[in-house]
Amino acid sequence: MSMRTRTAIPTWELVLCVLIVAAGVWSSKLSPYYLSIDQIFESTRHFIIPGLLALGLAMVVSTGEIDISLASIVAVGTVALSKLAAAGFSIYVAAPIVIVIGALCGTLNGVLVARYGLPSLAVTLGTMGAYRGLAFIVGSEVGYTDFDDSFLWIGSEKLFGDIVPISFCVFVTAAIGVWLLMHRTFFGRHCFSIGLNPDASWFAGVEVVKVKIRTYALAGALAGIAALVWVGQYGSARGDNADGSILFVVTAVVLGGMDINGGRGTISGVVLSLLLLGTIRNGMGLANFGGPTQTVVLGVLLVGGVLRPALAATLARLRRHTSDKQAGA
Amino acid sequence: MSGAIGAVGASRQFTKFVLRMRETGVLVFLAILGIAFSLLTSTFFTVQNITAVASSAAILAIAACAQAIVLLTRNLDVSVGSMMGFAAYLTADFAATHPGISPIVLVFIPMGIGLVLGTINGLLVAYGKVQALIATLGTMSLYRGLIYIYAHGQEVTSSRLPHWLLGFIDARISGIPVLVMLAVGIVVVVSLFLQYFPLGRRIYAVGSNPVASFFFGLRSERIVLLAYMLCGLLCGVAGFLYAVRVGTVTVVLASGWEMSSLAAAVIGGVSVAGGSGTVIGAALGAVVLATIDNGLVLLNVSEFWRMFIQGAAIVAAVAADAMIASSIGGAFYARRPR
Amino acid sequence: MLGDIALSPEQNCKIPILSLDGICKSFGPVRALEDITFDVFPGRVHGLVGENGAGKSTLVKIITGLEQADAGRVLLSGEAVRFHTPIEARAHGIVAVYQDPKLFPHLSVAENIALGAYPTLPFGVINRKRMYGTAKVLLERLGSEVDPQALVAGLSVAEHQFVEIARALSSDVKILILDEPTSALTPAEAERLFRVVRTLRDHGTAVILITHRLEEIEAMSDDISVIRDRRHVATKDAKSVDRASLVQMMVGRPLETLFTRRDQPTFGKEVLRVENLSLTGVFDNVSFSVRAGEVVGMGGLVGAGRSEIAQTLFGITPPTSGRVWLNDHEIHPHNPRQMLDLGLAYLPEDRDRDGLIMPETITHNITLPILRRLSHWCFVDRSQERVLAEDASKSYRALTPTVEQIVSALSGGNRQKVAFAKWLATNPVTLILDEPTHGIDIGSKAQVHEMVAQLASRGLAVLLISSDLPELLAMSDRILVIAEGTLVTEFLKNDATQEKVMMAAAQQTRRVRR
Repeated sequence: MSMRTRTAIPTWELVLCVLIVAAGVWSSKLSPYYLSIDQIFESTRHFIIPGLLALGLAMVVSTGEIDISLASIVAVGTVALSKLAAAGFSIYVAAPIVIVIGALCGTLNGVLVARYGLPSLAVTLGTMGAYRGLAFIVGSEVGYTDFDDSFLWIGSEKLFGDIVPISFCVFVTAAIGVWLLMHRTFFGRHCFSIGLNPDASWFAGVEVVKVKIRTYALAGALAGIAALVWVGQYGSARGDNADGSILFVVTAVVLGGMDINGGRGTISGVVLSLLLLGTIRNGMGLANFGGPTQTVVLGVLLVGGVLRPALAATLARLRRHTSDKQAGA
Repeated sequence: MSGAIGAVGASRQFTKFVLRMRETGVLVFLAILGIAFSLLTSTFFTVQNITAVASSAAILAIAACAQAIVLLTRNLDVSVGSMMGFAAYLTADFAATHPGISPIVLVFIPMGIGLVLGTINGLLVAYGKVQALIATLGTMSLYRGLIYIYAHGQEVTSSRLPHWLLGFIDARISGIPVLVMLAVGIVVVVSLFLQYFPLGRRIYAVGSNPVASFFFGLRSERIVLLAYMLCGLLCGVAGFLYAVRVGTVTVVLASGWEMSSLAAAVIGGVSVAGGSGTVIGAALGAVVLATIDNGLVLLNVSEFWRMFIQGAAIVAAVAADAMIASSIGGAFYARRPR
Repeated sequence: MLGDIALSPEQNCKIPILSLDGICKSFGPVRALEDITFDVFPGRVHGLVGENGAGKSTLVKIITGLEQADAGRVLLSGEAVRFHTPIEARAHGIVAVYQDPKLFPHLSVAENIALGAYPTLPFGVINRKRMYGTAKVLLERLGSEVDPQALVAGLSVAEHQFVEIARALSSDVKILILDEPTSALTPAEAERLFRVVRTLRDHGTAVILITHRLEEIEAMSDDISVIRDRRHVATKDAKSVDRASLVQMMVGRPLETLFTRRDQPTFGKEVLRVENLSLTGVFDNVSFSVRAGEVVGMGGLVGAGRSEIAQTLFGITPPTSGRVWLNDHEIHPHNPRQMLDLGLAYLPEDRDRDGLIMPETITHNITLPILRRLSHWCFVDRSQERVLAEDASKSYRALTPTVEQIVSALSGGNRQKVAFAKWLATNPVTLILDEPTHGIDIGSKAQVHEMVAQLASRGLAVLLISSDLPELLAMSDRILVIAEGTLVTEFLKNDATQEKVMMAAAQQTRRVRR
């Protein structure tokens, strides 16, 4: 019997890296333009908004809960930003307010789930509709596009010799921040321990309710930042912003190796899976695959991502069976 | 001593009362809504309008019924809308290309398609051990994407559908739309199945206490699979009826119905924690949603309020469910405070 | 092994209905059962005894098909059988009733009873009338007045137990396994149950009875099998054993040598004082105090409310009334974090569920309660963490090569040492131990006792909850006895005997229904 210790090499991350390279090679065959720096950074734009949401969702998922209302919070954020812009506030005032609004939406989810013990899936399914409805009610159906240039800066400008988009820098900063938070601070350790065993964590003095609410609030704040990036990239705010992107977000988190039941996974895995999904999407775009095909691929990847442990278990069982037979013979 | 027995007896009556209250509660809420809308508008309480509400509730009631079966097993199906769209488009396309097809055969096509799609969901959840939300979120996009690819951006217009089909959907028997009668029939049959047949009761049992099911030796996997298959079958029927009702079948048909069906079921008192609620309640929940929709239109309120109200209603219903569960007390709901 | 069985003449002429032959079972690296071999005869009650964690429950699971044995055979009337689900076992007449009832709360009592085999009308429709009728008859046979149409969700724990037993009797039962059937019942209810069991036995049913209460074993059993440390020790005719020899077989050595004796302790000032602590419906007006260096034992039956008192003191469920002082400061426990910061630690009874995070490493488990203290600017100091875990691992003699080991791969004894290390890392002034030797092997048990003695001599105030009477008597300086949620009596170390404590624990004060 071999001693079971924590695996030193994160195997799943390695698999993701290999897949990313494979997807990159495939994409570069499809289009000669693929390997230009400009094109690569351009492609990152596609996953920055869902990427920010995925980072937030990963925190919530680490505690064993889920939040599928994040995309709707983005819509609340963009609409709020449009109202603030229309009222003449500067971006320096409006941006923090939008982030706080996002955090408040998240906190409401967190309070309902953690404080009142309601099932997170049903609650956030409800608030998903409620927040989006709110966004539509507050904004109008036509939406708002008269943003001042200062509001678009975050999504349109580039840094470092006009190469790296600011939105990409925002994402990288957020990813590093969340990684440090989840893997180096006691808060992150508390999150993962709650995900593995909430009772034992509570007995060990982890304030389960507070920690859970904080993960929801942080996820909401990240959705608020995503709203800023949205307006920056698309220059418009409407109730249907980011509608349907939750599939991409959940897929990224699950494919990144986060256990949907909580307690396991890494932020680096989530970031890698975002890169993979971004590369695949970009490649499919270059190959002129339509949106629906991309959706199908996403769906298959999502189910495959969750079936992974079950498949691994089945394989292990088969292997044991065969070795048993060999031992018997 | 007598005090203890009295207390136990009282709590038992209270349990019964609370559980019965859930359907009556929905009815009372419906009555309040009806009265409010009747007072606020002159057009709500007319035979014509009530029939319209019933017709629009009919298909949602079938979808809610489908969702409820899965919820009872402590699972969830967010691919309901996609399954409806998938079955509807394929069937409509088939009917359009085979105009001479017999009605009997045509009816079985969406049912078969739904059954296959539901079986895929069920296999993933029950045997693949994939969390219900993730599995059905995946198949939701899978089914929808496949139908997009199949359709090549085409749609099936009502002119291409057989005439008898369109006539049937608008038909009335002594003033009552056939569609409504059909929906009532389906809900009653499913309800009878769940209440009076061993298999139906086991669907409740699996959701009621999975640990007990394990110790009892119930084949939870098979029962969950069956629930998803039934859900798919009903979604096939609902999608087909919806397609015929709207006439023009597009690839986005019934998108968002996963939310509505879930809202209807939860508002109708079906617990997301499994084992509790009835399909009759789910159908009543569908009527509530249809009534709110209709009332908001009559009141000229923005349609976006509907989205908000629906979402808020889910949260409220889930909260009410948790409150009922904890007030019933008993060993099963004993929950540690955090 | 077979030589141990004293065959009586009447046994000789009967063939065993169930034979276990060399049953072995492991969960990963943890051995659960090794070479269990004994026979069960029709028309006899077979008592199965052993300490907590000896492997009785696993054995029941194997017999009923919930678990599969790694090696060995189960023979039913001489034929080898292997059940894959409890339904198959039930079809062969084997039914088990578990300690905590496994019922379906949203279904009616009658449905819970009939679920396995509904009486049906044509077309498979459930025959409700007959279902209710059968349930009523079965329940009446048990002397229970539960309404068959009531939902199970509103029933009391005792009523649950009767419903489950009625369910067991609804099929044609040849072997009835009762796993701690009386732990939630009053003596009168237990007697009612045992009357039914005797009737069944007289009609030829084989009964396997598992219980902690040795008097029940003595009163009911015809044969007794003892399991100790996962192994089968002996199977004897009940007439040929007395309680002392039974206990000796269970614990494995004479009682005198079991525990490390403590030196004459010196007590410091009062550390923990509790006055009139109450939690509605659970316990009432409990008052006691613990001094520094003192080990206060808390005895009583399972379910008397001892763990609940401890958990209230630890802030898990805040009390409804009463006052608590810790180090002369009045405190209001409402949260484990607060209590840990105040210096009170609680080692939970259910170690694997509440005490440890099984899929985590030893290090992460030990440092979880003190992560904040180990952090600078929120960042965990991982080298300090590792040093701390390694020190703890050494001083508690958890025999593992590395502190990066996953806890679920450890044996019960080593797990408990990790749990100890975890709570002691918080530097408590008061330590509440809830069944600290529950389900661990003899060797580790002695180490745990030694550790408790050491901690007390270092000046900790220790409250020790234990159902193991010899342990309680040997370790405690004072013993409090809890019965049905009230503190019924208190013994000084020298006054206490097993009989006195047992008598006090078993008395009926009033009815506390949960």
